Amino acid sequence: MDTLVNVAHGFGVALLPVNLLYCFIGVFIGTLVGVLPGIGPISAMSLLLPVTLSGTPESGIIMMAGIYYGSMYGGSTTSILVNIPGEAASVVTCIDGHQMAKQGRAGPALGISAFGSFIAGTFALIALMLVAPKLASVAIAFGPAEYFSLMVLGLVVLTFLTQGSMPKALLMACIGVVLGLIGLDSITAQPRMTFGRMELIDGIGLVPVVMGLFGVAEVLLNTEQTIKRDIINTRITHLLPTREDWKASAGPVGRGTILGFFLGILPGGGAVVASFASYALEKRLSKTPERFGHGAIEGVAGPESANNAAAGGAFIPLMTLGIPPNVVMALLLGAFVIHGLQPGPLLITQNPGLFWGIVASMYIGNVMLLVLNLPMIGMWVQLLKLPYNILFPLIILFTILGVYCSSNNVFDVYVMIAFGIVGYFMRKLGYEPAPLVLAFVLGPMMENNLRKSLILSQGDLWTFVQRPISAVCLVFALVLLIAPLLPSLRKKRELVALDEGA
Amino acid sequence: MNHPTNVKLSLSNSELWGGLIGLALGGFVIWSGMKLKLGTINDPGSGYVLFYTGILMCVFAGAIILSALTEGGPTLASRWENVRWSKPLLLIACLMAFSVALEPLGFLLSSIPLMLLLLRLIDPVRWTLAIPIAVLVPAGMWWVLKRLLLIQLPSGLFGIG
Repeated sequence: MDTLVNVAHGFGVALLPVNLLYCFIGVFIGTLVGVLPGIGPISAMSLLLPVTLSGTPESGIIMMAGIYYGSMYGGSTTSILVNIPGEAASVVTCIDGHQMAKQGRAGPALGISAFGSFIAGTFALIALMLVAPKLASVAIAFGPAEYFSLMVLGLVVLTFLTQGSMPKALLMACIGVVLGLIGLDSITAQPRMTFGRMELIDGIGLVPVVMGLFGVAEVLLNTEQTIKRDIINTRITHLLPTREDWKASAGPVGRGTILGFFLGILPGGGAVVASFASYALEKRLSKTPERFGHGAIEGVAGPESANNAAAGGAFIPLMTLGIPPNVVMALLLGAFVIHGLQPGPLLITQNPGLFWGIVASMYIGNVMLLVLNLPMIGMWVQLLKLPYNILFPLIILFTILGVYCSSNNVFDVYVMIAFGIVGYFMRKLGYEPAPLVLAFVLGPMMENNLRKSLILSQGDLWTFVQRPISAVCLVFALVLLIAPLLPSLRKKRELVALDEGA
Repeated sequence: MNHPTNVKLSLSNSELWGGLIGLALGGFVIWSGMKLKLGTINDPGSGYVLFYTGILMCVFAGAIILSALTEGGPTLASRWENVRWSKPLLLIACLMAFSVALEPLGFLLSSIPLMLLLLRLIDPVRWTLAIPIAVLVPAGMWWVLKRLLLIQLPSGLFGIG
């Protein structure tokens, strides 16, 4: 009953005209960046992070969340029609989606992808509504040792799943921690690594770091080659899947939804892993696995449902524990912090309007996305023809303005340009920026919790092992650290490891 | 003549360079941590986490170097093979010039040339389209920010903008 009252309260917040507008802007931009290859949700969210300052916390966060789950919808359009994933979670949709389009079945592929996404998104929201308050009440009992170990696990999972060698990902995570610690020490107020620059006393801002690493560096990388697009030019008809399509897709949608939701909750996991896991599962369960790769609708329905369910599930650790499980959620945490809010176990009780408002806005956003992605599909197809030689300079200008407006400080523009250049060379040398950004956000929290637990336990390191939740997290982290040393597990890791930042 | 793209004991091994940079950074972080005072395990100081993170960085960098030496790695040149490497380089030069010009020239006088350069350098946009975009977009953004959102953009030594 309480949940229903809370949901009603949430809809009261989400249905305010200004929040509806922000929700629409969010899902629209999300679909747009999902459709456009080369620009992912991370770049778009980092670009728009300063914009959240102009409205209420609810509006800003509703818009940011909309960009994330909107991009999951939009990404499939490009995968199916152009055979280029709009964002990383849609990579797997290219395999069967584009084959379906080539066989003249682009309509059902787009249709099942949108309906599957809608069903999965709705399920994830209901689960978020039911699970989050319960988990939040458990999380109140978490001490600094549990928080520290959970964050270590989150970082290790992300480094495990990051493309390329694990030592590189771990090195990136360490650099992220160090960058996050620049500025005044939160306990002793001693300046650290500020090199005498007043601008660094408050630390390096999240906005210039992320905009540099994902916005500027992405443009630099994209300019290296001419982007070629092989757009399916035939008219897209029959968007509604047939009875046979539904029959074939019902199982994959259901399994993808549940699998995606749980993988989304896991720290370090997310939509990308969920879509690949779902594809592998469907192929394994299929009586005719040879159809996969040649236009099997199950290969579109499962992964597309999984990535949307994972996008919903990823909100749980952020909202209940205050720990972002991936880079996108780290950005959302940034939006909370900009407004002086701290997500965590007390958020739901202290700020119910915000929590339930965001949840309710996601229901509304899902409906908006269904309308945006089915009847308006033609508009997105036209957008795929947008020239990149005009788009990239505009992105650069917007990143500069976005960074400047977030702090009114020219120094942040320099920081962004520097991180853009460093990010480009990092990517060229095979160092992924995702662990760096997550560690940058988690670093100060990790340090704080580590020092608190050491002070409370009077320097007894066993405190991390004696507490069951902390011990389980550390054991998992250790297993993942050791796993790449074993050749069989190393091969498996290489199969699932993906570029989260794409 | 074909150059090898995977080398072991060579200065062109990009993995080796990556590891060495990581090692140098790790060493610097350890030094910074020690300078800030480590404290004790009962009461960790400001440099405690930095110091141990630096050690971890050295360990991971060491693993990268070891793998570069035993398994080899792509050469620096091969990382930029078959791509238009001059384009990002030109873009980086433009961004660096922009960062130097931003404060003395102000937003408008520095961003208009930046836009024009980017529009002409990446995949040349024809002049009749590039000039209006390069002028109108920064000017439009400046107007929205300054007049509507009351955000003061850098106006430079000439006070333009």
